[in-house]
Amino acid sequence: MYFDVFLALTGLLLLLLIWSLRKPRRSAAAQRGMSLPDECGSRHTSYLPQIQQALAVADYDYVSQRGSRELFRRFRKERRRTTLAYLAGLREDFQNLLGLARIIAVLSPEVAALQEFEKLRLTCQFRWRFEWLRLEIWLGHARLVDVSNLANVVSGLSVRMQKAIKELGERAALASKLGSSLDGRGVHPV
Amino acid sequence: MIAELQKLVQALWIANIAVAVILFVLVISRRNYRAFPAFTLYLLTNTTLSIWVFLTYKHRGFTSPFSWWLGWSMQVVAIGARALAVGELCKHLLARYRGIWNLAWRILLASAAILLIYSWVATKYLWTLALVRAQRDLELAIAAVIVGVFVFMRHYGIEARAADRFMGVGYCLYSCFKVVNNTILERYLDQYVMLWNFLEMLAFLGSLLLWSWALRKRLPEESNDMELLPEGVYSALTPEINGRLESLNESLKRLW
Repeated sequence: MYFDVFLALTGLLLLLLIWSLRKPRRSAAAQRGMSLPDECGSRHTSYLPQIQQALAVADYDYVSQRGSRELFRRFRKERRRTTLAYLAGLREDFQNLLGLARIIAVLSPEVAALQEFEKLRLTCQFRWRFEWLRLEIWLGHARLVDVSNLANVVSGLSVRMQKAIKELGERAALASKLGSSLDGRGVHPV
Repeated sequence: MIAELQKLVQALWIANIAVAVILFVLVISRRNYRAFPAFTLYLLTNTTLSIWVFLTYKHRGFTSPFSWWLGWSMQVVAIGARALAVGELCKHLLARYRGIWNLAWRILLASAAILLIYSWVATKYLWTLALVRAQRDLELAIAAVIVGVFVFMRHYGIEARAADRFMGVGYCLYSCFKVVNNTILERYLDQYVMLWNFLEMLAFLGSLLLWSWALRKRLPEESNDMELLPEGVYSALTPEINGRLESLNESLKRLW
């Protein structure tokens, strides 16, 4: 049995090595050239009122009662597509913020192990639940209010982070470092 | 067949020594010993011992007790030197990020210790295999530490220099190979010894070539002076972020 355990451990280490050496994918935000701190993690959450309007329950009821079957089907499909696209945007905002949180950790002289583990645990939880919600929306089970709640939490975090960055003072060098680090290529050693 | 393999092992041994000497000259001529003093020491120790053991095997044979003890003593010294060199590499990769480094080295050391203890406790103890197992366990710990550092870097989005990456991959592949090799050796001891020597040398040659590639140019001086954030920033922001993440997860949980 230990024969297999050691071989499996080595295989796992090699897989982890390959994964950790892979270049991270550049996010859509990075490709668009997101800047700090004005757009820090709030690009998509700021569109919530428009999305709420576009996904209003009244419209849904109106089309379902007055429109043809074909129109209603198309309407429902479009709404689902919009919601999913918006959710993808929210995740992007969230990931940018998380990236920023990591950079703060990297640039800090002291880092608390408990806080870092907590962040890791919560991030894993978020990812798992987020995918679940996405699946529910895709299947047509989730309601609009659920998406609004999610957006509010992400946008709240974003506002606090923007404030905090401004609190750091007018550290232009830091801001540019954070900005360049959010481009998906990471913090550079030299 | 065994005689042919023995000749092959000897040829490979000479090739390894030659490549190691070339690499050592490269390190000295490019002045990379400044960046990697522990690696240079490891290379020097390993090459010197290899030559010595090779000559001993040639004069006394593979099976003499003296050759056996010398061979294993050399392994102990070489692993010790490699552990130091790996520590040096980890420091290279992360030490400039003071907070992360302080967190990382504790976690990595603890992981290595847990892995070592597990390996010793989990396997049945046999005196005849004690050295093979000890070597395998140490190599596993070394590989885990290197992979751990790269995982840390990936998690925090820190990018390593190409030379450091190659150095790390060189150490890790060799250690992983030794773990696999020693595990197989433990089970098929008698019929595998010569092949084990051959494969181990082949793996080491691969690592030597990777290190040579990494150190083919003179590495620029690294500055450890990095502008860090004021002390209170992390402690002010991180609990806030975690709190928000918590509430985000709570609101997601309510959806179910």
